[in-house]
Amino acid sequence: MKYFMIAIVCVLCFLLPFFVGAYLIHVLTSIMIFLSLALSWDMMLRTGQLSFGIAGFFGLGAYASIIAVDDFSIDPLWSILVAAGFAALIALALGWIVLRLREIYFAITTLALSSVFMIFARNLSDLTGGSAGKVLYESIFKGDSIKIYWLVLSVALTVILVSELFQRTRIRFAINAIRDDEIAAKCSGVNIFKYLLFVFVLTSAIQGAVGALYAQQYAFVEPESTFSANFLLLPMSMALVGGIYSSLGPIIGAVVLGLASEYLKLIMPYGHLIIYGLILVLTIMFLPRGIYGTVVNRIAAKR
Amino acid sequence: MKRNFVGYVVLAIALFLIALLRPYAFFYGVQRGSLYGLVALPLALILGIVGLLNLAHGEFLTLSLYMTYLLFTKWGMDPLVSPAVTVPLLLAFGFVVYKLVIERSLKTHHLNLLLLTFGVSIVMVESLNIWWTSRPRNIYVPYASTSVNIFGVYVGGYEFLYTIAVVLVLTGLLLFLKKTRLGQATYAVGQNPKGAAIVGINVKFVYAFVFSLAAGLVALAGALLSVRSSIFPQAGGPFTMKSFSLTAMAGLGNLPGIVLAGIVLGIAEEFVKSIPGYTGWADLVFFVVLIAAIVFRAFGRREG
Repeated sequence: MKYFMIAIVCVLCFLLPFFVGAYLIHVLTSIMIFLSLALSWDMMLRTGQLSFGIAGFFGLGAYASIIAVDDFSIDPLWSILVAAGFAALIALALGWIVLRLREIYFAITTLALSSVFMIFARNLSDLTGGSAGKVLYESIFKGDSIKIYWLVLSVALTVILVSELFQRTRIRFAINAIRDDEIAAKCSGVNIFKYLLFVFVLTSAIQGAVGALYAQQYAFVEPESTFSANFLLLPMSMALVGGIYSSLGPIIGAVVLGLASEYLKLIMPYGHLIIYGLILVLTIMFLPRGIYGTVVNRIAAKR
Repeated sequence: MKRNFVGYVVLAIALFLIALLRPYAFFYGVQRGSLYGLVALPLALILGIVGLLNLAHGEFLTLSLYMTYLLFTKWGMDPLVSPAVTVPLLLAFGFVVYKLVIERSLKTHHLNLLLLTFGVSIVMVESLNIWWTSRPRNIYVPYASTSVNIFGVYVGGYEFLYTIAVVLVLTGLLLFLKKTRLGQATYAVGQNPKGAAIVGINVKFVYAFVFSLAAGLVALAGALLSVRSSIFPQAGGPFTMKSFSLTAMAGLGNLPGIVLAGIVLGIAEEFVKSIPGYTGWADLVFFVVLIAAIVFRAFGRREG
């Protein structure tokens, strides 16, 4: 019954463009982009490692995909895979070093990533177009917003599926054990390093792919806007508001904050980041489990 | 110990060579590096003792830059006098941030603290952005652009104030930690908060004190920096990561090491800047240093 409901919701999501207007489709596309980022961030957080690298890998994927299309004339659709692979490769090299020390070292190294990648984007101007960026002749599917919606939806559903697989298979026990107590996990025979590296590479690949999607949708990359802190702060706030350590939490958060941010754009043309910063601080202080976690706890308490 | 000694000798020779081959890079590097050390010391103090990485550290610096700017333009206060006002103000600000935001989350998962201070840094940058816009501002004082002649090399004389300040602050901190009762209590809390509480140290007070003290010290760096740097909302941001990379290089609790690491980073950056065509890559140096420090720690530990 439950699976039947999920299947119906998925089909409805795919059929949605036939019933609603172009504006809503645009909003939903952007929500699902951020949803995938939020979920990938949460998947890493479940292992007890805080990554600030979302914006970095997002931008990396965006650049990889635009360069793949422009300089190597790869099909835009395939370029998304190229971007994911490139992000995974960089994450593998980086994670192999940094994940040995973890925690603060990991957090700060990933926090530096977007500025580091930005320096590369600025200085390798033959490849990346320098600080002017790079523009493609046309966006993916010739800018057909319904096809883009379907593509983004499929990616978002895949990310949700991966996240659910993490929650339902053996990996979950390993991940939870590492988060709760590394030494105990090690003693129980969990190869901490291998698991962390696997999750880091996978989530970075997702972030790279999402960055590629976004870049293909707008057909340009530019250092400042591609590596914008928006792509870090908004997904993090979404996951925290919705509720971390679950699949449903970040989804709820993405929908709530995604709709709210559309409204915010109308009443406050610039400086949204302060709102997300405040949301971040207030959520951690007063609602550490997020909406989903709090509701689940209430229900559990009543039983 | 012996390995350390060899390391220092190699370092000294390398620095000497740079001083000989690229004297400008050397002197600029020492100046820049002293500034890094000056900013990194408070961060290392909080990290070493409260065990809290304050990701809003650089934004405290930005705030003090703006305060100095405001005092200069509104009341004509000289930036070198303004610490008398900005240090107490930032002490108070640090205390308020600590009490309002950080203290209540100390007992939760430490990742929350990282996220919290990250949120605080965003809120600070964006508030400055809204109030003062992103337009860069400058303070002009004539004495900031004097130059001195060292063995035929003309370099800015003002920046040597960073070097003097970092030596003074380092000595002051070391004396405070070793010689005063409060300093020893601070050490004790850093080693074992529970044990310190059992022997009657007011752990909460020490935490609040260290956090405020660090903010106050940042104000000192901010006042010195204000006349030589553009003042804009993101001015201080990069200092957070640079300070952390210095702490990673020196090791936790090694305060003199941080100053040395700062100077090494400063010289390395200026060296890269002095190579024609590679100026843009100078900001990458700290990341290379950070990764190198992590590699050294991660793989060196296994041998030991």
